[in-house]
Amino acid sequence: MSDLVLRNIGKTYANGYQAIPSIDLTIEEGEFIVLVGPSGCGKSTLLRMVAGLESISQGDLLIKGIQVNNKEPAERDIAMVFQNYALYPHMSVYDNMAYGLKNRGEPKSEIETKVNAVAQMLGLEELLTRKPRQLSGGQRQRVAMGRAMVRDPKVFLFDEPLSNLDAKLRVQMRVEIRELQRKLGTTTLYVTHDQVEAMTLADRLVVLNKGHAEQVGTPMALYDRPASTFVAQFIGSPSMNLIPCTVEDGVLQLGADCQLASPQFSTDKIMWGIRPEHVDIVPLQDADLNLQVKAVEALGAETLIHGSVKADRDKQYPFVVRLSGNHAPDIGQLIGLKVPQHAWHVFDAETTKRIEAL
Amino acid sequence: MSVYFPQKFLPYLLLLPQLAVTAIFFLWPAGQAVEQAFYQEDAFGLSRDFVGLDNFTELFTSPEYFASLKTTMVFSFSVAFLGLAVALWLAVMADRVIRGAMVYQTLLIWPYAVAPALAGVLWWILFDPSMGPVALLLESIGIDWNHFINGDQAMILVVISATWKQISYNFLFFLAGLQAIPRSLIEAAAIDGAGPTKRFWDIVFPLLSPTTFFLLVVNLVYAFFETFGVIDATTQGGPGQSTTTMVYKVFNDGFVGLDLGSSAAQSVVLMVIVGLMTVVQFRYIERKVQY
Repeated sequence: MSDLVLRNIGKTYANGYQAIPSIDLTIEEGEFIVLVGPSGCGKSTLLRMVAGLESISQGDLLIKGIQVNNKEPAERDIAMVFQNYALYPHMSVYDNMAYGLKNRGEPKSEIETKVNAVAQMLGLEELLTRKPRQLSGGQRQRVAMGRAMVRDPKVFLFDEPLSNLDAKLRVQMRVEIRELQRKLGTTTLYVTHDQVEAMTLADRLVVLNKGHAEQVGTPMALYDRPASTFVAQFIGSPSMNLIPCTVEDGVLQLGADCQLASPQFSTDKIMWGIRPEHVDIVPLQDADLNLQVKAVEALGAETLIHGSVKADRDKQYPFVVRLSGNHAPDIGQLIGLKVPQHAWHVFDAETTKRIEAL
Repeated sequence: MSVYFPQKFLPYLLLLPQLAVTAIFFLWPAGQAVEQAFYQEDAFGLSRDFVGLDNFTELFTSPEYFASLKTTMVFSFSVAFLGLAVALWLAVMADRVIRGAMVYQTLLIWPYAVAPALAGVLWWILFDPSMGPVALLLESIGIDWNHFINGDQAMILVVISATWKQISYNFLFFLAGLQAIPRSLIEAAAIDGAGPTKRFWDIVFPLLSPTTFFLLVVNLVYAFFETFGVIDATTQGGPGQSTTTMVYKVFNDGFVGLDLGSSAAQSVVLMVIVGLMTVVQFRYIERKVQY
């Protein structure tokens, strides 16, 4: 049985603003689903609707087959980890974790056993008597997760839980969250704007754009076959190079003096895309495309070359190439690029949807 | 945080205006009061004799003085408690209002701008036994209201008039305090299964405790020392001594009874009390309300 079902879920605010037109999503038991999108795409609103902190304007929300649209947050048997952790500042770590259990009226000994078990799992035993202000960012994050875990809820909800941590800790906590979720097997809905977090954590990703689910699928499916230019640019870093161009009679006209043999598509006007890591550098005479170098970012293990490719007359399009190892082209230099056809992504220029060769 | 000035002189120069004000308007009269407390002065102020601690001995053996102490306690704690409770209730309600929130808030703050004596007169008219609308209303439901005769009713009247003004002030602080509590905490508590009432007492109220404590101190000091105007405008300390607080007694004995020595001794006692109150409140209670 599916654990969490969103059927035609929508949100319209009292002032008429439609934050989420309609979303369908079926989440299986134990799945880790990441909602990802730029700020204002409605991902937090959707999460809060599942939590019961926002009302649902239309559709059905089912948890374990039961409609919970009008149930109080507490009755939905979910647990949420907030961006700012939302730990009760006047309570000790122990009391923070025990609060939900106390409210359920569980016996004291039971509460103690559960809290201690979770504390041990998260390495919080030493901190149980401390107040939140005496904890570091990572520890607070752990307590917030402990508070969610201790109630053994049907669904975990995470609202950008790592965005207040520094980069190093974020990576560490990311791994920890994934491990814990696997161990507990609790269905999880996780909101983030960070595509790396989304890619690494998710069993399935939901890319949201203006309240629409642009694409739902495994991280690799989204990376390999993005359904639209929005997904193509959102997933992967640096994002995919996209150039508007035309295909006529088996020729892709990339610019004034760049023509590539191409299969035919259902439309002539297309957005042609290729990921920075799928481009090779070749001598100029063998090149499909010439790149004028504007900036070089050497990251040690890899090098990002930012530049532009010339299209018709004065038009130039930004283009990024990602190479492994160290390269040091001069600024302003022209370098030749090979763009293998199997790595192309082609989108309809009108609808921005992915199209395949005929 | 400490700031060090390279000059020795400048900091004192900058402090001078404040120090001068304190010295001229507080230290000097306070010093005079202390001096006066050891003298007995005749009713016309023509001569005075040094009487040592006689003024104090007389004070502490006088049942009237202890009666006024008791009156002060009842009055002050009633005002502080009522003022805090009502203001908190109003603030919680106003915090929930979304549409027209500014209007509610502004209206609730207005009473603070009313002068104490005016507030007193306002309530005095409302509760006037023969023509006050509230008094007539009470009469119609079978309560015989006459604060000129009934000491308890007089006390209720002064407590109400003194509290009414203070509610606005408390409301302002409580509202700010409530708005400073992150919404996510309330939401977390809701997910943790706490209903609105439980959320208030478990989360909101403890988080407001620094504000509540601060207001408690301010309100007690207000009720102790700044309610002269209200009492004078409504009951003049009567009937009998039933609403004569210590501050009112200082005025009454000194400027009506013209017993300046006793009046000065009472001010000295009040000074000691306010000092003690401040020390006790900040040294012992504040520690417990920090989280």
